[in-house]
Amino acid sequence: MGRKKARASRTRRLHRSLGAGAAVFILFMALSGIAINHARSLGLDQHHVSQSFLLSWYGIDEPAQIHSVLVGDGWLSFTGAHVYFNGKYLSPLTGGVGAINNADLIIAAGSHELLLIDRAGRLIERSAWNRQDSGSIESIGLLENGLTVIKSDGSFWMADAELLQWRPLDHTFAVQTWSEWTGEPDEISQAITTHYRGTSLSMEQLFLDLHSGRIFGTAGTLVYDLLALVVGFLAISGVVLWFRGQRNGKKKHSHKH
Amino acid sequence: MGRSTGKWFWLVFICILLPVVAVAETVYETQTEFLERAFGGPPPAPGIAWLSGERKQNVQKILGHDYPALRVRYWCRNGRSAWSLEEIGKDLPITVGIVIVNNYIENLRVLTYRENRGGEVATPSFTEQFNGSGLNERGALDTAIDGITGATLSVRALTRLAEVALFLHSDVGCHDGS
Repeated sequence: MGRKKARASRTRRLHRSLGAGAAVFILFMALSGIAINHARSLGLDQHHVSQSFLLSWYGIDEPAQIHSVLVGDGWLSFTGAHVYFNGKYLSPLTGGVGAINNADLIIAAGSHELLLIDRAGRLIERSAWNRQDSGSIESIGLLENGLTVIKSDGSFWMADAELLQWRPLDHTFAVQTWSEWTGEPDEISQAITTHYRGTSLSMEQLFLDLHSGRIFGTAGTLVYDLLALVVGFLAISGVVLWFRGQRNGKKKHSHKH
Repeated sequence: MGRSTGKWFWLVFICILLPVVAVAETVYETQTEFLERAFGGPPPAPGIAWLSGERKQNVQKILGHDYPALRVRYWCRNGRSAWSLEEIGKDLPITVGIVIVNNYIENLRVLTYRENRGGEVATPSFTEQFNGSGLNERGALDTAIDGITGATLSVRALTRLAEVALFLHSDVGCHDGS
């Protein structure tokens, strides 16, 4: 009898202690769950996180490097996996290599893609560069005849005027210019930094990551799993304690009679 | 025991957590591989479909907004066409390769997926639903595509691109003998 009482008391203490600890977690999960369920109507998918410490926590710092090229009278800037035209977001592009201005076209090169852009900064076409007989793009330039040239894996390729077909070049051609980085004006780099940080993380994503624990990485998910088990334990221990309470109540009641 | 257990949980919670953010671009198939698969060998010379005038309006009607580029490259041989199109799922463009034979989709595959959620749309069990689809008289897919929970926007993006490809295939006149 004494042992049973001690066990019941231990369960009650554990239930109280874990319950108090888990209360914050349960409340948080309930509130964040409601927010996620109504993310669209609350506009969470349209609003972006601007708090500096949160962006830094996600590793969204100021763009490490902004590489820019002056093409015609516009600035084409590459940062991370994105391209900007005159500080305005244009398109994703990984491994920015450079850009050239060919007549009315601007051609921006990434490591495996080319973007054709008009003088107003509108994307005309995204074109893949994955020739099996060549590697990634190393540089982009203009030939003396005004056609585009690409250097890839030490070999050279020339495009037709529409940039539809590429053919290999020997080393006897004359390149007028290779694309080179130029320092962009401050207002361009400021506009890019503001956009880069300001649109990288939506509130919905933040809530989802908080709700799942993913914001803290794999360890966070595992800890959340552990807390979920604690909540499961609370449910079971609560039922057990309630059941014992009921039984003891009945016994006391029958002793009185 | 109970008190120390509670403290232990919170201590673990605070101390061992590390921020890990995985935002990656997944290339499932390069354009070269896609085209070689579509034509069983070297592809024909590419054509260009400029999105202007009535064509632009029709594409806009399907997507609900302008296509993110002014022209689209395609490959056509004897009624078989291959399209590499892109549409934003939630935040970033999804690049999709679509093969059409005589106005019906033969195959649809996600070539590059850039979003950090909803990548389930790239699984063959999902994309195979598009096989054999054509357009009905309203210009929509004549096959019902089952959605994926949590990837609604990506599913919608792929469905719209399938409709755009079918429309463009017919609009540029890719048929037997072309």
